[in-house]
Amino acid sequence: MQGKVESAHSHPTLAAILSFLLVFILLMVIAVINAPTMGGPKGLASAATYLAEVKHTALPFLGVVTVGAIALGLVVARTVYREWPNKRKRTTLLAAYGFLAPYLIITLVFTVGVILFAFYISFTNYDIFTPPQWVGLTNYLNAFKGFVDSTQKDFIQSLYNVLWYSLIVIPLQTSIAILLAVMVNAPVRMKQFFRTIFYAPSVTSSVVITLIFMWFYLKTGYINFFLAKFLGIFGITWQNIIWQGDPRGLIQLIVNAFGGNIPSDQWYLRGPSIAWMSIMFQNIFTTAPTFMIMFLAAMQDINPTLYEAAAIDGASNWQRFWKITLPLLRPIILMVIVLGTIGTLQVFDQVYLATSGGPLGTSLTPVYLTFREAMGQQGPIRMGYAAALAFILAVIIFFFTFLQRRMIERGTEQY
Amino acid sequence: MKSKSLTVFSIFVVLATLLAACATATAVPTTAPTEAPVAATEAPTSAPAAQSTCPLPVEKGASIVFSGWGDTSEQKIYTDSIARFKAVCPDVTVDYQPIPDKFQDKMKAMMAGGTAPDVFYVDDQLMTAFASSGQLLALDDYMKQAGVSTSDFIPSLMSEFTLDGKTYGLPKDWGTLGLVYLPDAFTQAGIAEPTENWTWDDMRTAAQKIAATGKYGGFCMAADWARFAPFVLSNGGNFATADGKTATLNTPEVETMAQLVADMFKEKSLVRPSDLGASWCGEAIGKQLVGMTLEGGWMVNTMKQTYPDVTWKTVEVPQGPTARADIIFTNAIGVNASTKYPIASAALAIFITGKDNQAAIVQTGFAYSTHPDQYSMITNEYDQAIAKGGLLPDSVPAYWGPYTGKLEDVVSKALDRVFLGDQTVAQSFDQAQSEAQAALNGQ
Repeated sequence: MQGKVESAHSHPTLAAILSFLLVFILLMVIAVINAPTMGGPKGLASAATYLAEVKHTALPFLGVVTVGAIALGLVVARTVYREWPNKRKRTTLLAAYGFLAPYLIITLVFTVGVILFAFYISFTNYDIFTPPQWVGLTNYLNAFKGFVDSTQKDFIQSLYNVLWYSLIVIPLQTSIAILLAVMVNAPVRMKQFFRTIFYAPSVTSSVVITLIFMWFYLKTGYINFFLAKFLGIFGITWQNIIWQGDPRGLIQLIVNAFGGNIPSDQWYLRGPSIAWMSIMFQNIFTTAPTFMIMFLAAMQDINPTLYEAAAIDGASNWQRFWKITLPLLRPIILMVIVLGTIGTLQVFDQVYLATSGGPLGTSLTPVYLTFREAMGQQGPIRMGYAAALAFILAVIIFFFTFLQRRMIERGTEQY
Repeated sequence: MKSKSLTVFSIFVVLATLLAACATATAVPTTAPTEAPVAATEAPTSAPAAQSTCPLPVEKGASIVFSGWGDTSEQKIYTDSIARFKAVCPDVTVDYQPIPDKFQDKMKAMMAGGTAPDVFYVDDQLMTAFASSGQLLALDDYMKQAGVSTSDFIPSLMSEFTLDGKTYGLPKDWGTLGLVYLPDAFTQAGIAEPTENWTWDDMRTAAQKIAATGKYGGFCMAADWARFAPFVLSNGGNFATADGKTATLNTPEVETMAQLVADMFKEKSLVRPSDLGASWCGEAIGKQLVGMTLEGGWMVNTMKQTYPDVTWKTVEVPQGPTARADIIFTNAIGVNASTKYPIASAALAIFITGKDNQAAIVQTGFAYSTHPDQYSMITNEYDQAIAKGGLLPDSVPAYWGPYTGKLEDVVSKALDRVFLGDQTVAQSFDQAQSEAQAALNGQ
């Protein structure tokens, strides 16, 4: 009869009310801390000036959050009201939220609160030092103006670049990761050593690797030297390329080889530029090992008797890989592709360090553009526009992840 | 046990990789700084001229924070300046907190959080971010009280830091470009060295001859708005009108000079630093890969520290079809509007940019003074030749309003497309004109 232990003095109503108030006050405090007001020393001089600013600018924001807070508070209160009388469930509830509380509060204040702030700001013009001015959907519409006005094509070009990046990098890094995992899974002698060596690029700072590759990619750098020597063996003369400064696109090069030409104002037909592809390959080198570890771990879970049974039935190594290993790795492949999508659509480090948006904008990425607009590096600070770009990117990533789950997860329910 | 020693070795490799990851990466030299030059020569640091009184009646016990960018040699210059300031205004405590890297980003973040320094460097980016939103203190009243007027400074420098008739920054130094060359390249090509009467056509002929020797490149120029500006200005053109409202990129003045540069690139008398494997033209000169280029006073320091054995010379920027003109880069000292000690902060700003302190700085060879009558104090002959460009009547500062950064980017991209052979000069600069006008309209 353990489930029916009811305490006569449990006061579920009181508990429900208290929890409602707790959640409501917590959310309102977070809202006030993250309220979209004018920043800078004038607003932040003291608590009084800050609250005056909040009253002046952020009341609509607080209104919306109040509604959300009341809704969430009611849900919480209802759960508490149901679970409180049962002592065992009550203890579990309190223990669970007690342990969660520190992390939950920090996440709410510094992540969720900031996201709400950014969402509100994306509908305003905000340069930090003056109060935000409501402009509605203007920022979102301006982001896509590049379709009609070619002087505004920065965001469109950044999306184009980053989609090519995903298209090329995700299949390559997934297949290289699986290959590496198979290689280090094999019973060779120096397995541990190879696992360490292969994983090393993922551990090294991306800043350091980017700088090293910047030297490799110089016109007088090692990659040109190697290609010249290597192709010289076959009698082919290699023309040194300025790898990270060459804006010629992949498709453009193919068309040029056949004697055609793609005009400059149809930049979207040109494909990823040499500079952009050089960053892609440098990045695959760093990210593939992380996924190799995931595949390796998943491979340890595969029952070796399956391989033995297949070997008895006369399956070759390739058939065993293709028919046993890969299908069983399907959930991990899905995870790697989803993580890869999320990661590749948010490339920033390499662009910031090596190309700053690249030759003629061919290595611009949405995150770099968001940074550039938010920090006002080429003009006034435009936080509202940057926030809008960030949310558009988030929606795109969510959409792709959703599609991938639908397509790939079909085969994974059996586990 | 083999696997154990292998494990130990693997751990060692992992540790080594982690240490490599943690080590600070040395920065690859980026394109030449177009901000204030960091040139230091062997000139003896003379005793500061005596300014016996504090410029303003400062608050008692004022304690202010001063910040700027710069490497150790620049930081020394300002530590000395603060010491001189302390001698005349002993009531003020100045805490110097330099920010060597990402200065603008850090300043904007600090200002947003209310923890910005009281006195700091102001460049065009910070002027755009802070002035119109009232984060900078208007200095006119304090200047009047201290007996300093805007006409004390070189006029073209003041315009960048003036908004709506109020002064928000006092120019602290300036830099410009001159023709930097290797005498050896000219000897090899058998031609005379550049003179002060050179024109761009003389430069082109010399570049062709030097490139023909095969040992040196002719003239080094990146697809950079700053290196292209002297060409444009010397033909009576500009990137935009003085009020920064209308772009003027598809005018014949600009396109003629762009065609000159494009023709030089095609005939290979002009090379980009990336074509030589250098990250900027100063490095190309230092590594003796090219005969001449346009660079500024910072070359003095770079050549002395990194390429001390290379013989090099400078001469004033060449003459163009209609004028001789140069581009000027400048930065100012500004005061935080929310400072608790406005009088002390204004006093520091006025003192650092004042005649006496600037005289002391010029004598170290670090930068050029922003007072017109102090040009004669430049001691280094290379600096003298380069600085002449900045004093020409048609020289303009690199500032076209709040969208300057975008305008500069558009011009650089236009040159990129021309060098690429992607578009003709007319097409490229037509496209640049519409992009620049959109940028200046604030889109």
